[in-house]
Amino acid sequence: MTTPTSIELVLDCNSLSAQFRTASGPIQVLHDISLTLKPCTALGIVGESGAGKSMLIKTIMGLGPAGMQVSGHISLAGTDLSSMNERRRRQFLGAKVGMVFQNPMTSLNPFVRIGRQIEEASRYYLKLGKADAKALAVDLLGSVGIPDATDCYDHFPHQFSGGMKQRIMIATALACQPELLIADEATTALDVTVQKGILDLLQILQSKRRMSMILVTHNLGIVAGRTDEILVLYGGHVVEHGPTDVVFANPRHRYTEALLGAMPRIDQPAHTTLRTIPGRPPDPANPAPGCPFAPRCPAAEGRCHSSMPPMTVSGDGAHRFACYVPVSTHPSDFRPMAPAVATGAEQ
Amino acid sequence: MSEPTNTAPNAEFEASLQDDALVQVRRLSISYQRNGKEFRAVDNVSFDLAAGETLGLVGESGSGKTTIGRAILRLLPVADTSMWGSVIYDGIDVAALSKPALRGIRRRLQMIFQDPVSSFNPRRKVPDIVGEGLEIQGIGKAERTELINAALDDVGMSRSLVEGRRPHQFSGGQCQRIAIARALAVGPELIVCDEPVASLDVSVQAHIINLLQDIRETRNLALIFISHDLAVVRNVSDKVAVLYMGKLVEIGPNDALNQHPAHPYTRILLDAVPVAQARQKIVPSADAAQIPSRMMPPSGCRFRSRCPKAQQHCVDVEPELRATPHGQFVACHFPNNQ
Amino acid sequence: MTAAAPDAAIRARPKTARLRLPRGQFFEWFACLFLIVLLISTMLVDFIPGLVRPNFPYGDFSQPPEWSLNGLLGTDALGRSILSRVLHGGRTSLAIVAVATALSLSLGMILGMLAGFYRGALERVVDLYTNTMSALPPVLVLLALISVAGNSVPTMMLALGILDIGTYARIAKGGVIAQNDRDYVMAARAMGASDRRLLMREILPNLIPTLTAIVPPLMAGLMITEGSLSFLGYGIPSPAPSWGGMIASSTDLLDRFPILILGPILAIVLTVYCLNTVGDSLAKRINDRGREIAG
Repeated sequence: MTTPTSIELVLDCNSLSAQFRTASGPIQVLHDISLTLKPCTALGIVGESGAGKSMLIKTIMGLGPAGMQVSGHISLAGTDLSSMNERRRRQFLGAKVGMVFQNPMTSLNPFVRIGRQIEEASRYYLKLGKADAKALAVDLLGSVGIPDATDCYDHFPHQFSGGMKQRIMIATALACQPELLIADEATTALDVTVQKGILDLLQILQSKRRMSMILVTHNLGIVAGRTDEILVLYGGHVVEHGPTDVVFANPRHRYTEALLGAMPRIDQPAHTTLRTIPGRPPDPANPAPGCPFAPRCPAAEGRCHSSMPPMTVSGDGAHRFACYVPVSTHPSDFRPMAPAVATGAEQ
Repeated sequence: MSEPTNTAPNAEFEASLQDDALVQVRRLSISYQRNGKEFRAVDNVSFDLAAGETLGLVGESGSGKTTIGRAILRLLPVADTSMWGSVIYDGIDVAALSKPALRGIRRRLQMIFQDPVSSFNPRRKVPDIVGEGLEIQGIGKAERTELINAALDDVGMSRSLVEGRRPHQFSGGQCQRIAIARALAVGPELIVCDEPVASLDVSVQAHIINLLQDIRETRNLALIFISHDLAVVRNVSDKVAVLYMGKLVEIGPNDALNQHPAHPYTRILLDAVPVAQARQKIVPSADAAQIPSRMMPPSGCRFRSRCPKAQQHCVDVEPELRATPHGQFVACHFPNNQ
Repeated sequence: MTAAAPDAAIRARPKTARLRLPRGQFFEWFACLFLIVLLISTMLVDFIPGLVRPNFPYGDFSQPPEWSLNGLLGTDALGRSILSRVLHGGRTSLAIVAVATALSLSLGMILGMLAGFYRGALERVVDLYTNTMSALPPVLVLLALISVAGNSVPTMMLALGILDIGTYARIAKGGVIAQNDRDYVMAARAMGASDRRLLMREILPNLIPTLTAIVPPLMAGLMITEGSLSFLGYGIPSPAPSWGGMIASSTDLLDRFPILILGPILAIVLTVYCLNTVGDSLAKRINDRGREIAG
């Protein structure tokens, strides 16, 4: 198994951890997260609220709240971000990463015309002149599907619907030709048909502009068929990571399996009783020792409660998960990632 | 405001409606006055609901689904709102009731909201919240306490857990349980659920959906389940009604709509629902759907501006609801599979 | 289906006591303390041992402050104890302002709540009243009322009471309108709550914090208005002491005995400042608590 070098990767996070100090002691929100993102790849980061997905994005982007202690290594397009000071990091990321946030109502400045909002980034980071920036903005509005782009350039955000506003946000994010586009719950507030339009648009733009993309969502359905890999977070830990199809067809971590079983499906018969997950999400202030999902896991054993399961890797190295009692029953399918752990490759 | 002129008489559909259903909505139209302009939120909607049945009301924003739910409970604002048609509950015309009489039937019709936390008075303690309906009905303290505890029990929360606590001390899922307990405490026959799981995580959502199924069965409740999430509606409903821009475009048994959707909009909705399963890479479509303005709906069939099958006839004539071979009614000149 | 206890760290909110003394801020402490001391000393002024009566010329004229009870703020041109006059005058002013505030608050709240709940014609009438009242300068209104009804203490209470009705009404109305669309009001309606119950049990409790926060600044305003009136000579008739009146008579001697103005000026300035500070601090606490509750 060859590990791509940092230069080839768009994003490389290694053992990223983050914690807050609070009056009642430190609270760790991210535990030892490692992920890599190759060029022209789409990654879905999924998890429920409190799992740490937004926190992960904010940590990578340096947008985390003040007073957060971050350890670990982040590099983007070969450049090490962890060693940069805030100002340099912002300069660097502004041009390399575009972000689209959840609420289009509040992400756009209601008092500024949208044309100018799109230009802002290109004028600041790319140092474009007025005319060039305007041309670029109109072009971007066209490519995100805003009709009559030249007219709409002068409009204010309130003149557009939620879906249109989100398209404008995407145009803003693309202004600097970023290598990475991050959509953080970008479609959660939208109607389902509008959501499809936005997701289609993101997919088209990603392949046309040869960017990498991260889709952060709590809705597993969104990442199906649109991403190459997915990363499942639970309680601030990575519990499963692998090619999207493989993870959906063959989820190994008990949480992933439970989550998939809990979702109502349109192809299920009516009145099917959903398989629920007992218990409640973990409390970051009082983390359980061992696997974060153990308190709720139907298959948990003794060691699940006492020690954190190591990452186990499937045969070709692409699918990894942190579980002592994973779902699959094909023992030859995987081997442990860290040979130092005594558990070895049983079951 | 102007009385709506019924361009689509829907004779066939209306003939199919029952006269003895628990809830009978007939030709319901509701208009709001906003900034001097009239906005028709609901236009000529009719349907039935039998006792113990669940109706899923599906639609996107602007479809009128929430307005219908509120109209059934007579919770629409009085100012600047006009309503035509009728809502008949157990033979009683809800819209025509006097205020005291309306209060009398309130306990039979309850509502659960999308954001449970905002439906609670933040200064009240949870047991008082659950017992509010009982207090209003004038039930004595001892009996109230019993009913509150029973309702909390039914939703899986113990009295000791909520004693002395306020809503902000609980999670979203727990708050929704409290809201359900509040609705159950008064012993209703119908509960209107307005997007009850939209703001909840998947695992919590599953609990609440199962809970609603349980209590529905044990108490033979009729439910009107309003949602934009078709997968959830598929799971909970016996009957589904699809709304578009205030109009009823398709209505019928859950299976019929799911397996043989007749209206192009229903098709589009079903296609757009994200499904969490291994699949081929989606082929994205580059057209941005042009959603017409709510204030100026298209003439004839309102859906024609987004419809792949639209023809001149669709511009001129508004379609009527007609029966399909699979048992649903669809308002379309060129429905699928016909 | 188990429902475990609420997340301890994330959801635990400390029980906020109703009346909690401000912490950490010197000025808030000071303001609270000053007002408490002022209240006690003015209300119980008759029981302070050794304090002369306010109109009794006990000492030499125009003496500067000294370290004795009666001479703490000096004596005025007639040899009367300024401290005694300040305390007695304060009692009258505070009583007038307190009663006036109680009047405006209750009337304003009722009007505002009804206007906000029922809207329509009632709202328009209340708006008209509010806008008219805010357009008129308070001192002129008071002068007009006093010229008709005289300047006794009860008249002053009523007259001042009229001034702020509009402000309280406007704030109450706004608060009611903001809550009308809230889900919990609709939920209560769905339970069959009568209008009265909605107003009293659901809406009013949520208005009280905001209204409470504006009472101190509005009281401060009334103190200034009342003081201005006395300064002009139209307040409580002399020889009854009043802060405004004392300032007026001290200004005559400003060139020779500037220190005499110290007493009444300090009284008014400190009272107004402390009222405003307490009001600010209440408003801040309410905002914080609202954010806390909103999560």
